[in-house]
Amino acid sequence: MKVSSMADLLITCEKDGHSIADCMIAMELENSGLGREQVFNKMKERLLKMKAAVASGKTDGSDAPSGISGGDAVKMGDYIQQGKALTGNLISTAMRYAMSTSECNARMGVIVATPTAGSAGVLPGVLFSFHDNEGYNLDQLTKGLFTASLLGYIIANNSFISGAAGGCQAEVGSATAMAAGTIVELKGGSPRQAVHATAIAMKSLLGLVCDPVAGLVEVPCIKRNVIGTAIAFSAADMALAGIESRIPCDEVIEAMYKIGKEMPRTLRETSLGGLAATPTAQKVKERLYKRGSEQ
Amino acid sequence: MEFQSCFDIIGPIMIGPSSSHTAGAVSIGKFAYHLLGETLPNQATITLYDSFSQTYQGHGTDKALIGGLLGMGTDDTRIKQALNLAERYGVEYTFQLKESCPYFDHPNVAVISAKNSRQKVKVGGASLGGGLAKIFSINDYEVDIRVSTDDDLGGNLSSLIPRLSLKSRMEVLK
Repeated sequence: MKVSSMADLLITCEKDGHSIADCMIAMELENSGLGREQVFNKMKERLLKMKAAVASGKTDGSDAPSGISGGDAVKMGDYIQQGKALTGNLISTAMRYAMSTSECNARMGVIVATPTAGSAGVLPGVLFSFHDNEGYNLDQLTKGLFTASLLGYIIANNSFISGAAGGCQAEVGSATAMAAGTIVELKGGSPRQAVHATAIAMKSLLGLVCDPVAGLVEVPCIKRNVIGTAIAFSAADMALAGIESRIPCDEVIEAMYKIGKEMPRTLRETSLGGLAATPTAQKVKERLYKRGSEQ
Repeated sequence: MEFQSCFDIIGPIMIGPSSSHTAGAVSIGKFAYHLLGETLPNQATITLYDSFSQTYQGHGTDKALIGGLLGMGTDDTRIKQALNLAERYGVEYTFQLKESCPYFDHPNVAVISAKNSRQKVKVGGASLGGGLAKIFSINDYEVDIRVSTDDDLGGNLSSLIPRLSLKSRMEVLK
């Protein structure tokens, strides 16, 4: 079985009434030669690592070695506990957990690249908010990871998933698009609705550049992961309401590819443009570089 | 179709912060460790090129390469202390920073020369992104080996050596 586009995926799913997650599991069984249980457990192991990263960041308010990130997930948690969050439990918890995962990443903690380390916060944020607020168990969330991986697999093979290649639209954009489709499938939406959610989420992040301050996966990466969760929920809500992306998902992915190709090198993870070129970012870079050369 | 499995998308399990500058670097270091017969080197010189040489401190690329050279995997929590551990194990190391790599055109390249009392190896590797690495030279001979962090290199390397010597012989015949 080979799925090379979202259109292919829908044909495959709708022919046999399969979910996107079922389709990914079937593909993996065929390609790897492993048994169903082995494949499922391998994915569940990744979910458990995500759970640990979410948990560590919830209570660890320490700074990253650079001193330019850390402590914000704890702040977000306190704020939510005071009942102040404007976005409601589901989104605010997802924001908190995305932040704790991305802070854990910056601290050189253990994370799971989804699809990259720079965009590792979005999916765990969304999934563990479902766990806490909607009672989804770990097996259901593991299935969600199969949904996410097939959506990501199609994006990665038709476009790109790294900031150096295609800007942040390729990293947080892809992660958010994967999360949006996953939410739809977890909530019982059809594969077609999930693909619309993927397209809607990706459209909203097209053109986003990769401009990390001092080359670190911290500013603005961590907060972009957090915002990605809110976009994923908005896109999923639209798709579940029956709203469709007017541009088919495959064409959105192709547009992302073309935008990335046209994006100047200064805005693709070189830290030569965008936020990385601001006076504040330059000062951070000088401070870190000086500290480095003294060591 | 570069990405072939769901675990290429959801994975690797890794120490942050960067799949290309940290996880991929661990894999290059670990490749050299396996090539040394899974024994520790007592001396290593690592040359970092281009983007690796610009941003290695912020991404822990130095710790990642040394961690790999000490036999750690991408998800080993000791990577953070790898430089101290190297000293404790008596592994002397030096980093050299260079601009672009004359042997291989990629922004994330490291070349490791490592030796112990038994042997000496030189490995050139590029980190391709998402945790994937490519070994492009072994002992100055051109090779093309894709290393996914998911792979268990231990079993593969013994079969690699004969292939390598065949390729080396072909190089000489040219």
